[in-house]
Amino acid sequence: MAKKQRGKGASLQKKAENEKGVGDFNLALDSSDDEAPEEVTFEDSKARAVESLKLALDTARREKELLKEKRRKRQEFFQEQKKKKLLSADVLEEIDSVPSKKQKPAEDEVTHDLTQMKRKRRRGGRQRNPQESETLPRSLKGSYTVSTATDRGQSDYQRQAAEDFIQSRLYGPGSCRSSNNEMLSLKNKTRADKSAAVQFVKKDWASKEKAKAEKMKRRWIHKQQIPTS
Amino acid sequence: MIQMGEFKVHRVRFFDYMPSAIRSMAFNSHTERLAVARADGAVEIFNFADNYFQEKVIAGRDGRSIEALCWVGRRLFSAGLEGEITEYDLENLRPRYSIEAYGGPIWTISSNSQGTLLAAGCEDGTVKMFEVLEDRIQFQTNLSRQKGRIISLSWHPSGAQIAAGMMDMIKIFDSETGQATHRLLVDRGVGTSKSREVVVWSVAFLNDHTIISGDSAGKVQIWDGLTGTLIRTHLVTKWDVLVLAVSQDESSVIAGTSEGTVVQFQFLPSTVGQQDKLWVQTRTFKNHSHDVRALVHTDTAVVSGGMDTQLVVRPLLDKVEKNTQESALHKIAFPHRNLVSCAKKAGLLLFQFPDHLELWRLGESDRNGTPGESLPVKRKPEKLIQLKIKGEDHICCSALSPCGSWLAYATVAAVRLYRLQLSSSNVSIQKVSKLPRELKSVHQLCFSSDSCRLFASSSFSSVVVVALDQTDCKYLHTLKHKSGSKQPIHILSPSEDGQWLATANTDCEIHVFNLRKMKLHCSVPAYSSCPTAVSIHPTSGNLVSVHADQQIFEFSLKQKEYSVWSRQLQRQGLHPLWLQRDTPVTQITFNPNNPAHIMLHDVFMFCIIDQSLPLPEAKSKLYNQRILQSLPEPQRLRESHAFKACKNFQHLLSVNLLEDLSLVVVERPLVDIVCQLPAPVRQKLFAT
Repeated sequence: MAKKQRGKGASLQKKAENEKGVGDFNLALDSSDDEAPEEVTFEDSKARAVESLKLALDTARREKELLKEKRRKRQEFFQEQKKKKLLSADVLEEIDSVPSKKQKPAEDEVTHDLTQMKRKRRRGGRQRNPQESETLPRSLKGSYTVSTATDRGQSDYQRQAAEDFIQSRLYGPGSCRSSNNEMLSLKNKTRADKSAAVQFVKKDWASKEKAKAEKMKRRWIHKQQIPTS
Repeated sequence: MIQMGEFKVHRVRFFDYMPSAIRSMAFNSHTERLAVARADGAVEIFNFADNYFQEKVIAGRDGRSIEALCWVGRRLFSAGLEGEITEYDLENLRPRYSIEAYGGPIWTISSNSQGTLLAAGCEDGTVKMFEVLEDRIQFQTNLSRQKGRIISLSWHPSGAQIAAGMMDMIKIFDSETGQATHRLLVDRGVGTSKSREVVVWSVAFLNDHTIISGDSAGKVQIWDGLTGTLIRTHLVTKWDVLVLAVSQDESSVIAGTSEGTVVQFQFLPSTVGQQDKLWVQTRTFKNHSHDVRALVHTDTAVVSGGMDTQLVVRPLLDKVEKNTQESALHKIAFPHRNLVSCAKKAGLLLFQFPDHLELWRLGESDRNGTPGESLPVKRKPEKLIQLKIKGEDHICCSALSPCGSWLAYATVAAVRLYRLQLSSSNVSIQKVSKLPRELKSVHQLCFSSDSCRLFASSSFSSVVVVALDQTDCKYLHTLKHKSGSKQPIHILSPSEDGQWLATANTDCEIHVFNLRKMKLHCSVPAYSSCPTAVSIHPTSGNLVSVHADQQIFEFSLKQKEYSVWSRQLQRQGLHPLWLQRDTPVTQITFNPNNPAHIMLHDVFMFCIIDQSLPLPEAKSKLYNQRILQSLPEPQRLRESHAFKACKNFQHLLSVNLLEDLSLVVVERPLVDIVCQLPAPVRQKLFAT
């Protein structure tokens, strides 16, 4: 208690000193040096400390509440947007009329179970939760047919990525590949009676290249004929 | 069209048959069967004990890509980039079931030597262990998950450890605890390839804990699996080493490269007489023009396959006797079954592709010419119909009726029958909607010669007979034989008069049914080699069969015994050159004008066997047609023998005789296939 008093006393002393300092200017007017410092009781200082604590807590709480308000407003705004996108209320009622009671708790369970299933699937298909089968089936009133589209998005993407990996390693840049034409034409090039590349020799291969070669030949012949004519 | 001898020949080269690249192979040494997986998802089984005959083909599927095949006992499993492991039913030629591994695309599967566990290496970095149960496989556990994808796996023969080839490293796992015990770091390539990760395409774990790896930098590295250190590096190629295979006794390892070469390493002492052995690079085989992606090392041969779609069997000359049939190189480039159906009366051809069918009408020429002359075509051949499959399963078999008014095809899922109406200006096709429910799981289809019946070979080696009416079809009967074999029937051949139906299955059995009484008539005595073509002579009623070992038999159906000519042929024996041919006979036809003629063909030759002429001696020339043409008449009669072979047409896919006695020869030159393959590597050769 003594320490506390000292501590508080120290701060109070400082305050007193400041006051005294202020007071010093007015010394001549008001107080004298002989006066004892103002008596500050323990209760007073405790009250002041408690007050400052309360203030701090209050500001913190107010900030939290402000944040909450903001979040709530945003959430409401999103709900409004969503409602605008959804069907009108009476259509929804028609759908929900029969299992309306089961709806809310089932929804949560279903989403929970789905995430559970996903997690379990990743571990490699161990025994499924037997409760899941009870919550999933849902009957709809009216002439509706529910069909699930085959969701192969993830696996297709992975498969395509794997195929691209092989393709890029074997045929991608840096793989030093030639063409079938070059490989087959080596014999035509090196034998005694040399002939053209196989893609020009074979009838139904490389028609574009053949057309280009034909055009070049005609242009060259035309050029040759001009100086002589 | 050309004139050949007394035949007008339609030379058909518009069948754009394109085989699929070989992606993976697995050999079962107990049953001597090789399973080959193709890039389109098809699986083929070759019988290595029966002249490498392609016994079974399981059709592929859109979206199924097989990356690895594995035998566990007599069961066949495959896995691929769609993330599923599939077990195949080899008696019904279909996948038995598929299970998802939930690890993303699967790059490799491998079973331990005890046959109890199947490990799958996945894209997400896990090695998943499946327990092999009697009728299915069940997920057991994951080994500890790694950061990179698992490209290749190899079990240690004891089953206690498993080596996994990944990107830039090889990890050794303890299969009990699932933890990775060693990490072997693989060097990247030099120069530009230093910036790219090196892919360890293949690993092999030997009994003495040596690990051999082949990677994308072209190296084959030998590691010590106990200490995790590198022993030796062999730089084999500038491109990738895509696959490794180890012999049964672990004395020889072969590596397949992107260049199309197969390099052999053998475990030999470094100098003669020394005790310490090391892995030495010995032979190089170049049998492929494109990348080698699948390898198998049998006891006597190196079997390779890759992007050039050909299966090559190269016997190792230190394991077989030199200069014999055994030591010859075998290249299997074409299927061992018929993909072309011909409507003899209507002049139509049906081409079977994996995902569609094409119906063509043959051209016409009205002139006659001298032998060898090319005749002008009055009307060009035209494509009438292109029929695409419904669904994703590829076509197993197809058939066209002789009159050209019925078309049928079968996949593993369903059979489809269509009615065709063809006039000179109009083509119409109509699907027959209600088919009998007995028509399912069909392996082979065939129409009777009067186009009133459809025969379909189904499960348990039975044949379903269906009657065809104007617009619909009715189930008539199921023909069964009593031998108890469940192997699929791969040949159906009805007789011209509609009385007999000859069937042959992959258990080498030939059964003949009486169609008037709808029951089994007789079974041809068992022969060890599988029949590749069977047909019934229209006039004599004899059944002619050719087998995978090139033997020919003629069996009389009335007397239920081999014919006199057949016995004479067996006594004398076939000519050695005939027996050395390495492609099977896939079709037998007869000439109505000349009952003594049997017409057959294989990929390289077309032959007419004249039963009225003497059989050739072993010493005489087999292919003597050219010589005979230059000889004078009396000498020609003396020198002629029964086998008249013609090698003018290559590579033959089908030979049929039309009703107007003109021959239809469907050719597919190998060059046409090669020019549509993916790009080969750029070889820099001196002086080119």
